[in-house]
Amino acid sequence: MAGVWLLVLAQLGSVRLQADQHQVRLNQHQVRLKPDTTYYRYGGAQGAPAQPAAPAGQAIFASRCGFCHGRDAAGGEGGPDLTVSVLVSTDVNGDKLMPVIRDGRIDKGMPAFATLGASDLSAVVAFIHDQKKKAESNPGRRRSVDLADLQTGNVEAGRAYFNGAGGCARCHKPDGDLAGIASRLRGLALMQRMLNPGANRGQKPNPATVTLIVRTGETITGRLAYRDEFTIALIDASGWYRSWPTSSVRFTVDDPLDAHRAQLAQYTDADMHDVLAYLQTLR
Amino acid sequence: MKHLFLVLSLVLALNGQAVGQGVEPAALLKPAVDSWPTYHGDYSGQHHSTLTQITPANVGQLTLAWAFQTGSSASIKSTPVLVNGILYFSAPDQLWAIDARSARQIWHYRYPENTGFHIGHRGVAVYKDFVYLTTPDAHLVALDARTGTVRWNVEIADVKRGYWSTNAPLLVRNHLLVGVAGDFDNLPGMLTSVDPETGKTQWVFYSTPPKGTPGSTSGGATGGQMWMTGTYDPELDLIFVGTGNPTPVLNGAARPGDNPWTCSIVAIHPETGRLEWGFQATPHDTHDWDASEVPVLVDGVVDGVQRKLLLQASRNGYFFVLDRANGASLKTVPFAAANWASGIDKAGRPIPNPAKDPSRDGRLVAPNESGGTNYRSPSFDPATGLFIVSAQDGYGIYFYKPEHGDYGWAGADHSVYGRAFLRAIDYRTGAFRWTHDLGDGGAPAGVLTTASGVTFSGDSSGNLLALRTTDGSTLWHSQIGTVGNSPITYELDGRQYLVVSGGGVLFAFVLGVRS
Repeated sequence: MAGVWLLVLAQLGSVRLQADQHQVRLNQHQVRLKPDTTYYRYGGAQGAPAQPAAPAGQAIFASRCGFCHGRDAAGGEGGPDLTVSVLVSTDVNGDKLMPVIRDGRIDKGMPAFATLGASDLSAVVAFIHDQKKKAESNPGRRRSVDLADLQTGNVEAGRAYFNGAGGCARCHKPDGDLAGIASRLRGLALMQRMLNPGANRGQKPNPATVTLIVRTGETITGRLAYRDEFTIALIDASGWYRSWPTSSVRFTVDDPLDAHRAQLAQYTDADMHDVLAYLQTLR
Repeated sequence: MKHLFLVLSLVLALNGQAVGQGVEPAALLKPAVDSWPTYHGDYSGQHHSTLTQITPANVGQLTLAWAFQTGSSASIKSTPVLVNGILYFSAPDQLWAIDARSARQIWHYRYPENTGFHIGHRGVAVYKDFVYLTTPDAHLVALDARTGTVRWNVEIADVKRGYWSTNAPLLVRNHLLVGVAGDFDNLPGMLTSVDPETGKTQWVFYSTPPKGTPGSTSGGATGGQMWMTGTYDPELDLIFVGTGNPTPVLNGAARPGDNPWTCSIVAIHPETGRLEWGFQATPHDTHDWDASEVPVLVDGVVDGVQRKLLLQASRNGYFFVLDRANGASLKTVPFAAANWASGIDKAGRPIPNPAKDPSRDGRLVAPNESGGTNYRSPSFDPATGLFIVSAQDGYGIYFYKPEHGDYGWAGADHSVYGRAFLRAIDYRTGAFRWTHDLGDGGAPAGVLTTASGVTFSGDSSGNLLALRTTDGSTLWHSQIGTVGNSPITYELDGRQYLVVSGGGVLFAFVLGVRS
């Protein structure tokens, strides 16, 4: 049963479960389960059985809507949480939702899905209502953050912080590595990436490099592969993983993310929102 | 006659007992070295052992005595109990009894499938020949410690309302104290005293009273669940328990005031459940910082006065020194990154800065939700006066808006980054004697100190560590996978065992190899 729920949750997409010390984000791309935690779903069967169209709608929703609204419709990168949407709560069999899906809300950044057929549209509508029911059967759940919530910063102040006190410009260029960042990431995802680019990197390589002098005096440099108190490892120039006991070599690690970690103790909340506002202009 | 009895007792102690014995409650007052009879090992919560066979000089010779495979991918978070040469440890719905010498499984109990929250499990309690398991659906099951046969099963709280339990109960005389949890629903915080023979409820202490209770001071808050095992002072005859966060969790506006007794340490009379005193570690918490961490009992000198003390490194990032006779604050100092308080009030409580309350656009707050530390045991080393805690300097972003409502979580929060450190705090000054870097991420392991001056814990990379207690330098390590519980130690057949979990495996280490 627990396994089934886990699968269901994984398929529904980004669902956050409370753990006593860990926060876990499940989605189809990465299941990041801390190995020391058993995750089961709290509570019994949630909500009414899905309407017949809902499973079909889930797949369409995931592929067309999930990026912005989350695969579970509870909010994603920029798109609002549909399980608490006023529009959804006043919709009857798609009378309000279908026109919005078909025509989009171009002014608010939602594209039109004009090519979706009638049966697909009703399947998506059924899925959204099903998700709303599920959410409402668990009223104490962790909630979502909307793009609109994060628009309190001042662009100019953010630009000044970026180029000045924040020290961001030492490593980043708005027309270089950050060009188009606001098109690739939005809302909470952009905020999290800004605060700690080291989290949720997926398969992206570690930006830290190691310079290491072995006992023979040879210097080896490479991308940091692993480090704890006892072992240091890198990916060398030929692509091989190589490790040494930390006690047997001298080494330095240059990790550009250290500046991000140190900045967490420096940001005021206003700084954080201002820099986010500035980054949102880099489309 | 008395002398004869003593001699006989000594002979029995030396030669082993003719028949196995359970745990009489009085034995918990001074546990024998061949036992670890409660979650904390004893009533003080010091998580310290008087054993001295393993020393800083020979700890490098530690070798594997055995490894017990649970066959489960879930990490063992529970701290074992050892009685009569048998280790008892748990996971949600599961209880193992294994031979502490050989790791042979004696029996295994599986609780029926249920819909409760299977978040983790802390451990068990024993009384005479009973062993007790709390369950995800907030029941208490009493089993025959010899066979694993169920004797009775009682409901402690209603799972349908959102309660669950991970608790290792605390036994004091004929009172078995059972805690529950439940953060996703607005539920009164309750600690239930149960008759260990029959399962009958003796009393219930409410940290936040049920709705409609006259004279309630909680300000409309629910929560304050007592999901961790408390400690006990037999002289004062008081039980000390940490209470959890209030609910709704992140929406503070719905529950004005300080919300006692959430995020508090409470002193309770074991016979009646009456509150003697309470101390709030976080008044009006809005960040899920349970004060559930172990209330460690130490007799020591502060400001030149010998006192009965209570020490807690709390999830909110502050270390508290209290007089446990009356709850008076003697010292409050941060031990981990904390940016949420604007000062310390006259009662020794940090003053929450409203600017760090969760907001619509988010607030960057230290600690993050997992806290400056969490439930796993710190350790107090009497010889050095050091309180050693696995700490995390962590940041999270906290959100709340009125649309999130006033039920359960009522908000959103996301951890950003954390780094773990073992910190040795001199309880007399609050200063760090040393800090040992444990690496990026949370601080997953508990701490054990021994009278020979060795500190055992784990880092965030899966290394079991042995450090020198005086200076925190590394003496030995072994990569066993994430240490998920608090290490314990005991002596059997003249050998000192170190028992600790790494992932879903329980490991025992001893000195050298004896065939």
